[in-house]
Amino acid sequence: MTGAVATFPALRNHSGLLGVVVLIAAVCALGATLTERFLSLGNIVNVYEQSTDLALVSLGQTLAILTGGIDLSVGSLISLTSCLTSGLINGDPNRVIPVVLAVLALGAVIGLLNAGLVIVLRVHPLIVTLGMSAILQGATLFYAMGPVGKVPRNFNFLAYGRVAGLPVGATIAVVLCILIALLLRYLPLGRQIYAVGDDDDAARLAGLRRNQVLLLVYGASGFCCAATGLYLVARFGAGQPYTGVNYTLTSITPVILGGTALSGGRGGVIGTLFGAYLISLVNNLLNFMDVSKHYQLIAQALIIILAVSVYMDRRRTA
Amino acid sequence: VTATIDPLETAASRGTSPRFRSLLSRFGIFLVLPFLILIGGVISTSFLSAGNISNLLLQIAPLGIVAIGQTFVMIVRGLDLSVASMMATAAVIATGFAGSNDDVALIVAVVAGTSICVGLINGILVAKRGVSPFLATLATMILLQGFRFAYTQGAPSGNVPPFFRTLGSGKMYGIPYNCVILLAVVTFFWIVLHRSAFGRRIFIVGGNPVTGHLLGIRTDAVTIACYLISSFLAGAAGLILSGYVGLVDNWVGQGYELDSIVACVIGGVSLKGGRGSIAGALAGAATIMVAANEVLLFGLPIQVQIIIKGVVIVFAAALYAD
Repeated sequence: MTGAVATFPALRNHSGLLGVVVLIAAVCALGATLTERFLSLGNIVNVYEQSTDLALVSLGQTLAILTGGIDLSVGSLISLTSCLTSGLINGDPNRVIPVVLAVLALGAVIGLLNAGLVIVLRVHPLIVTLGMSAILQGATLFYAMGPVGKVPRNFNFLAYGRVAGLPVGATIAVVLCILIALLLRYLPLGRQIYAVGDDDDAARLAGLRRNQVLLLVYGASGFCCAATGLYLVARFGAGQPYTGVNYTLTSITPVILGGTALSGGRGGVIGTLFGAYLISLVNNLLNFMDVSKHYQLIAQALIIILAVSVYMDRRRTA
Repeated sequence: VTATIDPLETAASRGTSPRFRSLLSRFGIFLVLPFLILIGGVISTSFLSAGNISNLLLQIAPLGIVAIGQTFVMIVRGLDLSVASMMATAAVIATGFAGSNDDVALIVAVVAGTSICVGLINGILVAKRGVSPFLATLATMILLQGFRFAYTQGAPSGNVPPFFRTLGSGKMYGIPYNCVILLAVVTFFWIVLHRSAFGRRIFIVGGNPVTGHLLGIRTDAVTIACYLISSFLAGAAGLILSGYVGLVDNWVGQGYELDSIVACVIGGVSLKGGRGSIAGALAGAATIMVAANEVLLFGLPIQVQIIIKGVVIVFAAALYAD
C-alpha cells in the first residue's frame, strides 16, 4: 500500500478509503450469501436512510479531528438543538423556517465559542469541549426535563421524505459531505486545516491562519450538530434532553473507520461518509441475522479495534 | 493578527511567571479545596455536621480510587476512558452469583481477572500497536458495554452480597469502611509512584519516552503496567460502588471516566504526561464531591451542578495550561 501511495500522491489523504470500501464489500458479500433480501434495492435505501444521523454529526467531527483536536460537545449540542427546535416551534407551521434557521445559527455560534475558548485559554480542545458539553447539557435540562414541544406533521419530510426515490436527510448529508470535501481540496483555508493538524507549531510559525482554521472547523462541527438535532426531531417528532448523549463517542467511529488519523493532518470526509455507511450496514446485517441489539456493540468495538490496529498511527512518539 | 510570532515573546506576554504557574498548577488544588469547605461551613450549618462529613467520605472513596488509577495512565501520556465501563462490569459480576457471602472470593477473582484482561488490551494496543489511548480505551469501553448487555440481556438482576454492602456503605464509629480501603490504596500507590524505582520510571517514560528508551527502560512494559493499574483499581472501585448503590444496573459508575479525568486535571496531573501526584488526584476527587454536595445542600437545582462542573473543567485547565 505504501508503494501505491508513493505512486499516486492523491491517495495520501485517502489511503483509509481503500480499507473502508474493502470492508463494505466484505460485509455486502457476507450479507448476500446469508439472504437474498440483503442486497435488494429496498434494503440498500434503508441502510442509506439509517446512516443519516451518524453521517451528519461525524462530518463535523472529521474536521475537528483533522486539526488534531476533537469535539466532545456534539452530544449535548444535539440534545440542546433538538429540544429548542420542537420546543420553540411547538406545532406552529409559521415558526418552522425561522426556528430552523435560528437553531442552525446557534449550533454554529456554539462551535465558534468552542474554538474561541481553545484559542484564548490555550487549553486542549478535548477539555474545552468536554466542559462545554457539561454546560450545554445543564442548559438543556434547564429548558426541558423530558420530551418537549411538537412539530407540524409535515416536518418529518426531513427524515422520511423521498425525492426521486432517495431519502431527503441522507441525501442532504451526501451533499454536505461533497461541499466539505471540495472546501478541503480547493480552498486555501481547507488546505490549512491539514497543515494545522499535521504540525500546529510549524503552521503557526509559517504564518498560517491557525485561529481562522479552528473557528471554521468547530463552527462547522456545531452546524452539523444542529443539523443532526433537526433530523432527530423530524424522526421522533419531539426533542428530548438526552437524545444526543450517545453521539459524543459514536461520532468518532466513522471518522476513524474512514482512515482519518486521530492525531490530525491526514484523512478526509469522504472516508467518514463510507465509515457511517459501514456501521449502518453492519447493524443492518446483524438485524438480518437476528442477532440481539446487545451484540451489536461488541461488533462495533471489534471493528474499531481492528481498524485502529490495522491503520496504525505512523507518528508514534517513541 | 501578527504574521510572525516569537515564541519567547508570547511566553512573556502571559503575565504570570512560569515558576508561579508551575507552583499554582501543582498546589492550587490545596487552596481550592479548603476554600470550598470554608464556604460550605459558612453558608450551611449542616455541611460540617458529622453525618454529612461521613456521607461525603463515603462518596469520595470510589472516585478517589478510580482517579488514582487514572493518574498513572495520564502520567504516561495516556487517558483511560474504559474505567466507568469496567466499574459497571464489576458491579454486574458482583450480582452475577447467588448473592451470598460464599461467593465473595469468586467474585473478586472474576473481577480481578476481567480487569487485568482489559488493562492488558488497553496497554498492548497503546504501547505495542501505537493506537491513540483515547481510541484504544474507547474501544474497550464499548466492548465491555457490549458484553455486559449481552450477558444481562439489558436487564441486570440479582443481589449484591452483604459483604460488599458493608464494604461500600458500612461505617465503624462514623468512619466508612470504604475510606479505610481508600487510605490503604492511597498509601500503597503513593509509595509505588513517589518512592519506588518503578515510579521514577513512570515519570521518565511520561516525561520523554525517547529518553526512557535510551536509559534502558522498557517503556512498553511501564506503559502496559500503568493501564493494568488503572483497570484493576476501576474494578475494585466498581465493587465498592455496587455495595454503596446496593442495586445494579448497566450504568453503575456512569460519568466516572470523565470525573476521574477532571479530578486529575484539577489536581495538577498534566494531560501531556510526565507530571502528577497521588495527593493531587485525591484532592481533585474530593473537590468534585464537595462541590456536588454543596450544590445539593444549598438547594440549587441539579442543572447548576452540571453547569458548574463544565465551567470548572475549562477554567481549571486554563489555569494550569502550560
